[in-house]
Amino acid sequence: MVSLKFTLSPEASVKIHDALLCLTKFSESVSIEARQDKLSLTALNSSKSAYASVSLEASRFFSSYSCVPSQGSTEGRFTCRLYNKALLSVFKGRVADARGRESAIDRCEVSVQERPDEAECRLVVKMVHNQGVTKTYKLTYESVEVMHALFDKNMAQNRWKIHSGCLKEYIEYFGPKTEQLDIYSEDGRVTFMSFTEKISDGKNILKHPLQTAVSASTADFEEFSAQEKLHIVISVKDFKAIVTHADNLRAEISACYSQPTRPLQFSYGGEGMHCEFTLMTAGDYRGTPAPAPSHAVASRSISRAQSTASARTDNHPAPVEMPPPSEAGSRVSTHRNKVPGSTRPPASSNLQRLQSDPEPLFVPLEEEDRRWDPAVFRDEEETLGWDASADNDNAPHHIFRDTAPAARSATDDNTEGLAPTQRVSQIRGLW
Amino acid sequence: MRFKATIQNIHTFTKFTASLASLGPVAWVRLDEHEVRFTIIPEQGTQVWAVLSIDTIFEHYTIQSAAANVINLEVPLIPLNRALKSALRATSASIRLTKKANLPFLVLTITTNTFNRNALSSTTGGFGGGGAHAQSGSTHDTRDDSYDFHGASPSHDFGGSGRERETVVTQDIPIRVLGQASVEGIHEPRCREPDVHILLPPLMQLKSISDRFTKLALGSRDGGTGGTGGGRSAVASGLGPRLEIAANMHGCLKLNIRTDAMNISSVWTGLSNPELDAGQVEGGEEGIAAHPSTRMKELGDVQGKSEEGWAVCRIDGRDWGKVMSVGRLGGRVIACFCHEHALILYVYLSNNEEGGDESVLTVSDSPAVD
Repeated sequence: MVSLKFTLSPEASVKIHDALLCLTKFSESVSIEARQDKLSLTALNSSKSAYASVSLEASRFFSSYSCVPSQGSTEGRFTCRLYNKALLSVFKGRVADARGRESAIDRCEVSVQERPDEAECRLVVKMVHNQGVTKTYKLTYESVEVMHALFDKNMAQNRWKIHSGCLKEYIEYFGPKTEQLDIYSEDGRVTFMSFTEKISDGKNILKHPLQTAVSASTADFEEFSAQEKLHIVISVKDFKAIVTHADNLRAEISACYSQPTRPLQFSYGGEGMHCEFTLMTAGDYRGTPAPAPSHAVASRSISRAQSTASARTDNHPAPVEMPPPSEAGSRVSTHRNKVPGSTRPPASSNLQRLQSDPEPLFVPLEEEDRRWDPAVFRDEEETLGWDASADNDNAPHHIFRDTAPAARSATDDNTEGLAPTQRVSQIRGLW
Repeated sequence: MRFKATIQNIHTFTKFTASLASLGPVAWVRLDEHEVRFTIIPEQGTQVWAVLSIDTIFEHYTIQSAAANVINLEVPLIPLNRALKSALRATSASIRLTKKANLPFLVLTITTNTFNRNALSSTTGGFGGGGAHAQSGSTHDTRDDSYDFHGASPSHDFGGSGRERETVVTQDIPIRVLGQASVEGIHEPRCREPDVHILLPPLMQLKSISDRFTKLALGSRDGGTGGTGGGRSAVASGLGPRLEIAANMHGCLKLNIRTDAMNISSVWTGLSNPELDAGQVEGGEEGIAAHPSTRMKELGDVQGKSEEGWAVCRIDGRDWGKVMSVGRLGGRVIACFCHEHALILYVYLSNNEEGGDESVLTVSDSPAVD
């Protein structure tokens, strides 16, 4: 059990508000993960094609911060999920306050009430005002494992960096109803083109949204090194949300990506706040031979969702953990049933493959340093114990196999209880 | 078929399209070697017939087509307006007709030069300028635009020393090319000679008062006291409340709204009734003598007290509010009243150049059916 408590200055409260506002553009719920050295707010959209994370450094962002693991354990962690609107409304009024200085808050205290002897588990936010008024908000939360997207920066060789103000200017040109954004460079100019894929005929053609292309010289970028004519397509809505937030922070946005159908990451930050957005991309090479097939936009999220895993780490206190969301559970079991023949390779090759393949995206890894932590896989080895196929090399790319959290009762999942005594092919005959 | 031009007066063009966009979603545009014509004929409500001389908005104008160098297009106004808005701070903008994947588009190419902001530090606290709008020379004339959609004009400071950077924006507006046959029937709204013509007071004033009247009438209708007359029939037909607009030939304009609960009117006096130009009226001097407005001059008074001499039109309040949006163009507006029949507004854009052709925007409101 972890005791979490932190205090925010009025300025930091405003930043939290802005960050939450940005995260609402991705998902209606926000996940909080508190560790000893940082707190992160994350959101994963429903199609799992976009992941947003705002991490706040314990020492720099907060006035005071304590995340103390209970006796014994060193790896204390608190994770939960909230309805973003609820959290946002707590911080909403603060925006005007901190800027208007009228009924400004003095500080904002947040703590978690989660003890076995208390009937209610709540996230408690106390807004302490200058005039001696304290407003206390108690929010219900869902205790869940937080999913994080994995992004391999080493694979992403296309990189650029630009001041958010420039991008803010560009997005203002975009038509309001366009859906997709194509980013590419050609002859020293970078083009951001917002468009909508559906082409309609006849009378409806006039209702087709405006297609806007904004092109700027690569010299306007802080740095630019990306392959020419590489078209990378993301969602306009996501891009707008990111740019708007970055512009609030007056930050420089960095983008890095490898190729279409592989993830792209935007990152920016400053003053103890670090934001990362991992987005799935579509697109293709035009003009150059295309080694990568251009995937249909519609299918990209699906293919990505399959590589989503919900592993858990052993340090999380099992007794208090609620069952995982049913969505995760169902995905786990369908996944199992669909590809019974392809089973887990040994941990070592697993790790190796991970390094060479950026395919698995959304994996619950805790932070960058621990990305390669074999402990996670060892843990998985214990919970999942069969290996029916000899040819690991031909195993599909979903190397982060979905592993059910141990907290789930075995009765929920029949597959879970099967002893590793038979080949999968044999089992298959029974169905 | 070729059409290509540089837009020389982005502001006028933008405001113009914004005015039109409030009256209908789609306009028929006819381009030829001398003028550009915009027509909106909705199923009901206000018709627009607007003629702009080429040099009001364009420069380096090229047009070519098999049909005697005339091109007819159907253009969605909101995207056109939206595209033009992105050119408000432009250094240069051009428009051309093109085909992409066999679909016709009007492509607006906009070049904007701004000072590079990259010199700014990336840290969050690094803004010292406090939102001072240092403008590059090319954008000096854009700030007086109260319709500027950006609302948030860049709140960044341009304090850092940087070089100028160039951004090129292209906006593709989907259009339809119309055949000669389908546009043959389009003609300027015809109507009998007006009884009264009068130069309207500043439209902002007129708009705010008429909007207020309309709102009051809507409010009292919601009060649900039941009713008779105009208010009732409006409810039945799902239309807005009826404004009664009247004018006489002695410089008076009256705006009136009548519901069960109230009867409010506003009267302007001392407006001018422009003299008719004998060259423009059918029959010359004699035509003027026989013109309905000449007879109307004999009735009524300059105070607007008399019951006589008024030419009255009833119009939908909400519709009128949309028509008033032409006020943003800042032109002179002459209203022509055909008693109990129609109200036609002629909007004359003031061109900067002396002797330039006046561009006319005609807005005609069909009579209220009561």
